[in-house]
Amino acid sequence: MKGGWNWIWKGSSIALLAYVILRGFSTPLQPGLVSATPSQLTLEEHTLTLLAVGQPFARENAQASDFELVLRSGDQLLATVLTDVQPHAATAKVRIPSTLPSRALDAFLFTPDAGTLFLGNACFVEDAAKGDIPTEFRAQAPAEAAPKLGFSFPYQPNIMESIRNLLWHVPMWFAMFFIMGLGFVASLAQLRTDSVKWDLRAEAAVRTGVIFGLLGLTTGSLWARWTWGAWWVSDPQLNGALVTVLLYSGYLILRAALGEDDRVGRLAAVYNVFAFVMLVILLMVLPRYTESLHPGKDGNPGFNSYDLDNSLRAVFYPAVIGWGALCYWMYTLRLRMNRIAYSLLSR
Amino acid sequence: MAATQHTLRTAATIARMEWRLEWRQGHQLAAVGLFAVASVYVAFQASDQRTSASAWTAMLWLVHLFSGFTAIGRLFDRERSQVRRYLQWTAAPLGLMLGKLFHAVITTTALTGIVLGAFVLFLGWPVGIESPGKPGLLILGAWLGGLSMTTTLVFVSAVASQVRGGSGALGAVLGLPLLIPQLILATRLSRGALGDEPWTVLVEYPLFLGALGAGTATIACILFPYIWRE
Repeated sequence: MKGGWNWIWKGSSIALLAYVILRGFSTPLQPGLVSATPSQLTLEEHTLTLLAVGQPFARENAQASDFELVLRSGDQLLATVLTDVQPHAATAKVRIPSTLPSRALDAFLFTPDAGTLFLGNACFVEDAAKGDIPTEFRAQAPAEAAPKLGFSFPYQPNIMESIRNLLWHVPMWFAMFFIMGLGFVASLAQLRTDSVKWDLRAEAAVRTGVIFGLLGLTTGSLWARWTWGAWWVSDPQLNGALVTVLLYSGYLILRAALGEDDRVGRLAAVYNVFAFVMLVILLMVLPRYTESLHPGKDGNPGFNSYDLDNSLRAVFYPAVIGWGALCYWMYTLRLRMNRIAYSLLSR
Repeated sequence: MAATQHTLRTAATIARMEWRLEWRQGHQLAAVGLFAVASVYVAFQASDQRTSASAWTAMLWLVHLFSGFTAIGRLFDRERSQVRRYLQWTAAPLGLMLGKLFHAVITTTALTGIVLGAFVLFLGWPVGIESPGKPGLLILGAWLGGLSMTTTLVFVSAVASQVRGGSGALGAVLGLPLLIPQLILATRLSRGALGDEPWTVLVEYPLFLGALGAGTATIACILFPYIWRE
């Protein structure tokens, strides 16, 4: 039976994606501090409330004495007295001295089970004079306890729960690069041999790649709305991505315009080679040389600035392989349709 | 060696022929000039004589872009007819492409002069700018931006001209997305040159524009023989 073993990789891709979806949505997020109220402090005693998201960092009836909150100003620590600890909130009393090394205070919440939670620039003290924190206000750095969180995704400020989108957005582009690369090779072979079989492959690859490009744009737009506050921003990486998808849509338009012309294979191949060179320039060269909001702006426009930890890796790599295999599967289906259509038309 | 000479001779002949035809059928050249000047005048009327620097550069590049489409989009129109058959037998494909590119460079240079000149004549400088901070860079940017758009357009119109019974619209449809990166770079360069941005910030834009133009011209030359042969 021809291709009888194909069910192995096809089944594996489905299994991998099922694993990615289950694991990606069921894995809890590590706890992280999101806000401190009041954020503007004066030189008196305040009741400070810190709110957190993600997994609870304390049990329901936790003792406040097991936790410790210190505020950092410059390189000195300011003591607080925790009065109440809830699963997602901590309340503390803090007296602000009249002199501080820096007006911005960072918060460190030391927990027995969830490690140390950090909130940069948690509060500001407008009227503090520059100087050392008086000794009676100072805190000693408490001992850090290793987190006992189990399998969980890392907390990143701004990104928070949306870090799961990494498993969708990034593999879409990887799959698109992969299938467009395949189309590029097919088009080069078409130009070399002038054979229709390579043209059918190139067409199938580009058509599949455009779908993944559109999915990449959609997931990216959703992510941008959450983290940057707008559905679309002007950014080298985003411009490049949009132009690339438009470019390949042009490939499909060109084919449609050529219609039954017998030179459609060669002309489409010429355009596809040009388009792939532009893809490399737009998505891999230009964004590295210009300022970008997109992660990995210094050098790699990929994902390494997310400092992927092992829990994320354990789902991200299967996602890349799973989406890539699914993309290739879609390509083979399209290729079969193209071959059938061609054999019917040339009969 | 002989092949190279043949290619270069073809390029020179094609460029000369293009120029002569352009000159004798003056209406083509005049049409592009008229389009450019009329567009500038529309921009002048629409802007109500009070343009910010960003609106100024946006309109400048929109006019430049569409004038470029008008000028370069018909570069391969003659090759739709029987002339194509003749050139396929006599001309080296690479030479033909080089000749067309050379002609496109000349056209773009003239077009840049017309558009920029008409712009300054009608709209003056943007509000708050007595004279541009770096006039040389503004001119260089308009020229380089125009050139890097042109090389892409030459390739696209070469492809689009192969579509039997197609119109100029296909060239515009295929060309516009390809020109977005060049336009982004060119508008930033122009905006910077109007103001007082330091050289160190601006110097990368002409370099990128030049590299994009040279790169697309090279790819167009490599791929053109495949478009051309029957």
